[in-house]
Amino acid sequence: MTTQLRHTRVGTSAVPRRRIRAKHRKNLIGWLFLLPAVALIATFTIVPFFQAILLSFQSWDGISPDIPFVGFENYDRVLQDEIFWASMRNVLAFGLIGFVVGNSVALVMALAVTRVKRGQAFFRTAFYLPGVFSVVVVGTMFLWIFQPRVGILNTLLGAVGLENLQQNWLGDPSTALLSVAATFVWYHWGFAFILFLAGLQDIPRELYEAASLDGARSWAKFRYVTWPQLAPVTSIVSVLTLLAALQIFGTVQVLTYGGPGYNTMVPTLHIYIEAFTNNRYGTAAAMSVLFGGALVVLALVQLAVAGRRLRR
Amino acid sequence: MASRATHMHSGDAVQQPGGERPSRRRRITPARVGLFGLLGTATLIAMFPIIWLLSGSLQTAEELYSGETFFPEAPQWTNYVTGWVDGNLAVYLGNSLFYTLTSVALILAVASLAGYALARIEFSGKAFFTLLILAVMVIPAPAMFITQYKLLLSFGLTDSRLGYIFILVTAGIPMSTLIMRSFFVSLSPELEEAAAIDGASALRTFVSVILPLARPGLAAVAVIQGLQVWNEYLMALVLFDSDSLMPVQRGLMSFVSVETPQQQVLLAATAISIVPVVIFYLLAQKHIIQGLGAGGLK
Repeated sequence: MTTQLRHTRVGTSAVPRRRIRAKHRKNLIGWLFLLPAVALIATFTIVPFFQAILLSFQSWDGISPDIPFVGFENYDRVLQDEIFWASMRNVLAFGLIGFVVGNSVALVMALAVTRVKRGQAFFRTAFYLPGVFSVVVVGTMFLWIFQPRVGILNTLLGAVGLENLQQNWLGDPSTALLSVAATFVWYHWGFAFILFLAGLQDIPRELYEAASLDGARSWAKFRYVTWPQLAPVTSIVSVLTLLAALQIFGTVQVLTYGGPGYNTMVPTLHIYIEAFTNNRYGTAAAMSVLFGGALVVLALVQLAVAGRRLRR
Repeated sequence: MASRATHMHSGDAVQQPGGERPSRRRRITPARVGLFGLLGTATLIAMFPIIWLLSGSLQTAEELYSGETFFPEAPQWTNYVTGWVDGNLAVYLGNSLFYTLTSVALILAVASLAGYALARIEFSGKAFFTLLILAVMVIPAPAMFITQYKLLLSFGLTDSRLGYIFILVTAGIPMSTLIMRSFFVSLSPELEEAAAIDGASALRTFVSVILPLARPGLAAVAVIQGLQVWNEYLMALVLFDSDSLMPVQRGLMSFVSVETPQQQVLLAATAISIVPVVIFYLLAQKHIIQGLGAGGLK
């Protein structure tokens, strides 16, 4: 406060001085209100973010106080790491399936729910319910459903005479990825559904009435009213779903731990194992930088899209 | 009502010539059967894994491994007792409750202060700080959880309640701040002017005039962050070794790997662990759904 006051001496006439003092006061109040948030973010987000870049050029076993620089050695190792690239391919598959299947289901169900008059609240509650569980709960449920010998999925297939479709769902390389992806879709589509539903309810009714007067039928109404009006929501939902799918970790860790082989390995789990099991924190940090960098680019695209929408 | 139906439900609300008396009940048409078939199937798929978990949690090991029981002959409530005791759930659920309440309270305090500053106070650097908060939102957990661990290790805060709460609160601040900011922006400036005339300090005005009006924003932030914190898993996995400190998600995994419980006991313990979150969801779903909209679309 005293330094603030001393600064104000610079002013000559009384009025600007008071104004300058008020401005300093405003600055101080603003900064004080922001201080807790900025201090926490600086310490626990910004410092670790830059430390990750630093650590990616170092070698650390997790215990030793000695953390030598190794140049690009970690990046070399990562670029030659087949498992890392397999994990990138897998997570891209999760992203695409979550994006296409999850968002399509969500949109279709949102359209369906807007067509019923009674029970909208019930369907909304039911459809978002899976989204409130943790990855551990979801993993436990689906491990039991996919259980090869007595799991309900194989039991049901057997009961309707489709024994030849019975699988060791999570243990067979040909089905493991799809099974985890199906679990992800079950878990996450409710989120996209809620946003689509909110978007649909914001579309002015007059647009549909005008379309009706023009003789538009269901498909034409969807094509020329719903779809363009929903576009901003669709783009945001798409990026959010994609970002969630790309960061998938717990579901995979509980269901398959990346197996069989590396068929369901994902980057976050691979980073976790590289650090906490293999004790190669430097390599793990290099992967964090590469994978995290890719996610940041994607999130920036979302911000750009959201910003464009706000400016409209 | 009727006109809306005609426009929204093309095809199914068209009156057929002749036929029955006009009634309030809707005509059953193939389109309508299809619509409800679709909604019914989706509801079944959304609910089935949960129902199956509950069904399995009440069975004996023999029933469970026959793979054909839906309704257990005699519900085995003892599975729940075993799950509660062996699964150490009193401790884990207590921890989760503690982490959730503490972190949400801190997030609300920190984010509403910051959101208010960004919305209503003119100060230099405002644009910079707004951008900073937007920028940290795009840094994903996979990019920094290794070095967050390293940082907490250097503070001696791994395997500690305080360290975990720091991480949880920091993770919640950016989005919560932006949600609070958008609520404060919509309030009328006359409120502060009146308080200023009364000679109230900025903090006083904020606490006794502004915050009470921001209750819907606070509620949206609280429920969304409450769910986030309750379900957090990655950092709990990274940070905790001591069973006595673990939240329930981490604790369940510890139960699985250390005790290797029988399947029906694991299902019962899992079912117990979802009770708080399901009750919370059913009570607060209006806020949750609003909050999702606010967080996702703004």
